[in-house]
This record gives sequence, structure tokens and C-alpha cells, in this order.
Amino acid sequence: MLLFRSEEHIDRWSRARDLPRGATLTPEQGWRLAHGWYKDKVKPEWRRHTLEETEELLAEVGLTGPFWNLREG
Amino acid sequence: MTAAESASSEALMREVRLHIFQQAAETARVPQPPQIAAALQRAEADVVLAVKQLAAGKVLILAPNDGNIWAANPFCAVPSGFRVEAGDKTYWGICIWDALGICAALDRDAVISAPCGDCGEAMRLEVRQGRLGHSEGIIHFAVPAHHWWDNIGYT
Repeated sequence: MLLFRSEEHIDRWSRARDLPRGATLTPEQGWRLAHGWYKDKVKPEWRRHTLEETEELLAEVGLTGPFWNLREG
Repeated sequence: MTAAESASSEALMREVRLHIFQQAAETARVPQPPQIAAALQRAEADVVLAVKQLAAGKVLILAPNDGNIWAANPFCAVPSGFRVEAGDKTYWGICIWDALGICAALDRDAVISAPCGDCGEAMRLEVRQGRLGHSEGIIHFAVPAHHWWDNIGYT
């Protein structure tokens, strides 16, 4: 997951690598996603999120649709 | 494996996990199996096995072709372009998500410096009192969520 200065920079980077564009997040969405994902990682009680918990976190951050689908198919 | 052996293996994995992540957070350095074994007074072979089990469980990421830890994500073991300054320590993340994740895991004020993936120009993001303050740029995920762990290095 990279940070880009603007949409134009993402387009240029994608074209140069012949890659389709992926999905974009605002830094605020990135912070909320990272916070939900990692805030407990150093704590003794940490455990991996379940699939359902991860889906809930993505939805809370506004990341919905096929790109964010965690399940097969 | 007997039930007792399984419980012992689970206990060592937990002990190793806690040591790795607490050391990474406190010192900004990710310990490797020899240091972990010495600190925990455990056989290195047992620690290496525990680290491999943690990697298999996607708790951390091993460097390609050796048993060293590449990232106890969000903490990267080697310098990267995604730099996090917190207090008097410098941490590295393997991507912008992990750089933000370091700020979340540390739960302290921090400043991220990260390059534009296209032109390399540095950008700055700040986390203050649990909130994102100053920020620049747009985050791009090239890989759909279902395929993140197909090749986590690329992701």
C-alpha cells in the first residue's frame, strides 16, 4: 500500500507498470483502518481478527464493494 | 503431538510473540531468533520453530529464503521508506498502512515520513492524541483484499 501525491501520480504509476488501478483511501480512512487493525497488536491479549470482524472494520471505514471482499469468489 | 506438547508449543508461541512485539515497540528494533532465544533462555531451534508457526499464522512475516523476521507487522525489521518518528525512536513500516499501524500500536504521538510511490517526493503525516492531524496524499491499494496474502511483500 503506497502513498501518492495525487490521483495523477497513481495513474502514472499504474500505467508505467501496466497495472489496473486498485482502490484509494484518504489518509483519514487509512488511519482508521490501521488503528482498527493494529491498535492491540502489542498487547498480551491480542488475537487475529475473525473474518467477520475484519469485514466489519472495512465497512466502518467505508471500504465496501468487490475490491474489499475478503471471501472466495 | 500430544495435548501436553501442543499446549507447550502454544505457550512458547505466545511467549515469543509477546517478546517480539514488546521489544519492537519499546526499542524500535525487531529481535531475531538468536536474540529472542537468548532473552527468553530458550533453545534457538524451538524459537525458530515458534517464529515459523507465527509466520504461518500471519502474525509476522519472514524474509524470503531465510528464517529472519522481515516484519513483526506493523514493525519492519529493516529500514524502509516508511519512517515513523515517535519520541526519540525511529521505526519503519513496510507500507503506509503499517506506518500508520505503528502509530496505532504505540498509542503515542508520531510523525510519518513517506515517499510518493510515483515521484518519490516525501510527504508527512502526523498523529496527535490518537487522531490523524496533518496529512498529505492519497493511499492506493493495488491488490484486492482477498489476495493480500497471496504475496504479502508485493501487497
